[in-house]
Amino acid sequence: MSSTDSPAGGDRYVAVHGSAGFKTLQRKTNSFLIRASVLFFGWWFIGTSLAAFAPGFFRQEIAGPVNVGLLFMFLTFVVVVTVCASYLRYAANRLDPLTDQVRAELEGEPR
Amino acid sequence: MSTILADPPPPIDNTWAVPGIAIPATIAAAVAVYFVVRSVRDSVRTPDDFLIANRRIGPVQNAVALASAPLMYSTLFIITGHIALNGYDAAMLLTAFTTSMVLGVLLFASPIRNLGGYSLGDIFAMRAEERSARRAAAVVTLLIYGMFTIISLAAIAFIFNRWFGLDNVAGLGASVLVVGLVTVLYAYMAGMAGVTRLLVFKAILTLTVVLVLTLLVLAEFNLNIFDILDKAEANRKDVPAGYDLLGPGREFGEGQHRLVHLSKLFCVAVGVAAIPFLFMRNFATTSGKDARRSAGWASMIVVGIYMCMALVGFASVAVLGPERIGVIKAHRDISLPKLVDELGGPVMIGVLAPIALLTIVGVYAALLINAVTCVTKDLNVARGRKPGRADELKDIRRNTLRIGIGSVLVGVAMLPVRTHIFIPTSIDLAGTAILPAVVYALFWRRFNTAGLKWIVYGGTALLFFLVIFSNGVTGPEDAIFPGHDIKFVDIEPGLITVPAGFLLGWLGSISSKERDDAAFAEMQVRALTGGLAPGARKDAARAAAAAAAGGPGGQSPNGAGPNGRGPAPGGPDDHGNQTRTPSEAR
Repeated sequence: MSSTDSPAGGDRYVAVHGSAGFKTLQRKTNSFLIRASVLFFGWWFIGTSLAAFAPGFFRQEIAGPVNVGLLFMFLTFVVVVTVCASYLRYAANRLDPLTDQVRAELEGEPR
Repeated sequence: MSTILADPPPPIDNTWAVPGIAIPATIAAAVAVYFVVRSVRDSVRTPDDFLIANRRIGPVQNAVALASAPLMYSTLFIITGHIALNGYDAAMLLTAFTTSMVLGVLLFASPIRNLGGYSLGDIFAMRAEERSARRAAAVVTLLIYGMFTIISLAAIAFIFNRWFGLDNVAGLGASVLVVGLVTVLYAYMAGMAGVTRLLVFKAILTLTVVLVLTLLVLAEFNLNIFDILDKAEANRKDVPAGYDLLGPGREFGEGQHRLVHLSKLFCVAVGVAAIPFLFMRNFATTSGKDARRSAGWASMIVVGIYMCMALVGFASVAVLGPERIGVIKAHRDISLPKLVDELGGPVMIGVLAPIALLTIVGVYAALLINAVTCVTKDLNVARGRKPGRADELKDIRRNTLRIGIGSVLVGVAMLPVRTHIFIPTSIDLAGTAILPAVVYALFWRRFNTAGLKWIVYGGTALLFFLVIFSNGVTGPEDAIFPGHDIKFVDIEPGLITVPAGFLLGWLGSISSKERDDAAFAEMQVRALTGGLAPGARKDAARAAAAAAAGGPGGQSPNGAGPNGRGPAPGGPDDHGNQTRTPSEAR
């Protein structure tokens, strides 16, 4: 497992890894993923912690049998769909064109 | 009541099962699945066809197959009954499963497919010394396979008890043997392509069942969801902990005890996405983009189904009342068949029995393919073996039979043991030993062989140490050794071991001087773009695999051939074997 193993390919990866195009792709991918993860997992983790440690809040009634906890659960399901859908759309519109460029750079004939 | 299931009292009086309908329906379903699987048998000509369906699984098919994975016995039957008994806190488990699917979409799907390997070992080997990496991958994959297989086969016995009314030891053992061996036959026939078809078939039937049940309960309450919830609350079974059904508390409880249920939710949320036989499906898709799309769609399908399941769970207690649902933990899975009996009558019970079985058959078939891939690609390399070129497919098929039949026999022998602890433990193991390793491999420059070993061996050892002293092994009535009590761990061990896995990986990595910036660059570039640099010898195997998937001259794992392309000709395979050999001989 070392770069000497595959000189041509290894150099190419290092070169692409340092290229501006790849940096942009990486920045855009990671910033979306980090924001989406913090938002979603934060939401879920705060919600479950509230259920565990502030059950009184979750037991508050809103309408009929529906309480804050059930609303949280329903919203979690909605957020799952929203996060997945927005990631798929962002990736298809913003990331994939960049990916194709970087990949062409990577796979082109050696200079 | 049979002793084989080790059911604690009160005994279950199964008044609802209709074997006269269930048995012919099961035989019909087995034959139908046989033809579904056989329809792709002829496309399996090379090892790649068998293990990863030659990366020909399109996004729609993969989405449905992925969505069928979280619809297994422990969710469909146990969690709905759990909700009927414990209400809100139990339903939170469903959100934990969907949370894990989001993790799968954001972290695993596209990068894993872009790397274009076959097994966990292929991912590990990119950042660590090859044989150590493959040995570590094999250890964790096969441990999870073993535990999940034993509990899946035990679930078959439960289904025969709950849905067919069978309650003698010999009969249950024989049923598990037959169903297990038929599943091995399905996997043997058409490998990953066949298993994917089987999962799609299972998913469609399961989705239909859940939708029909939802419609039935909605009809029962004139489409008024509020009425269902009100009636569920009014009919709640009073549990020792007290509390309402629709609010938190019944499982969370008070004081320190709150951490117990919280730890279970946490482990499901971080662990399920990392279970190898679930995320390895991504290797079989046509491209990284398709893997991402299919994972996203699968999450959406699962969310819809889980919402229906939560409603059905609450409706079970609303319809059946407090005494007719399963009122203790071990009997939670009788609530759903009783609800079906109440709403649909004997015919529906009989027709649903084979579908219940099919949920397990699908899981076990996927597990088996995963184990065979692991043995072929990781274990053999770790042990310094090279499969013979011409015989590789034969070897793989022989392994499928050996592993499959062996596991079924072990599973039957394990039936009298209360092994339900194996589900949470295998989820914990995935979160402890796989999640940190994959995250570090993808994102941390300094990660190395020592870090990987510390995560896998250290994490696994710590987990099993804690599990031995936790609830499922000794202590409560439903533990493996209920007569003894050496437990001091109440929480789900994963709450400790998942963070510990990350810590161990960090400590291990910085304790070793090994550092390979080029490998990190390669990992990141390939994970993000799915491209392959020309002339990279090390990647010859994957390039060849891509050539098989994308047609002659296909340079990258992402260069997918069109969906539904016919069986690959012999050419790419010969090419694949020639180029793979030097890389494996290192």
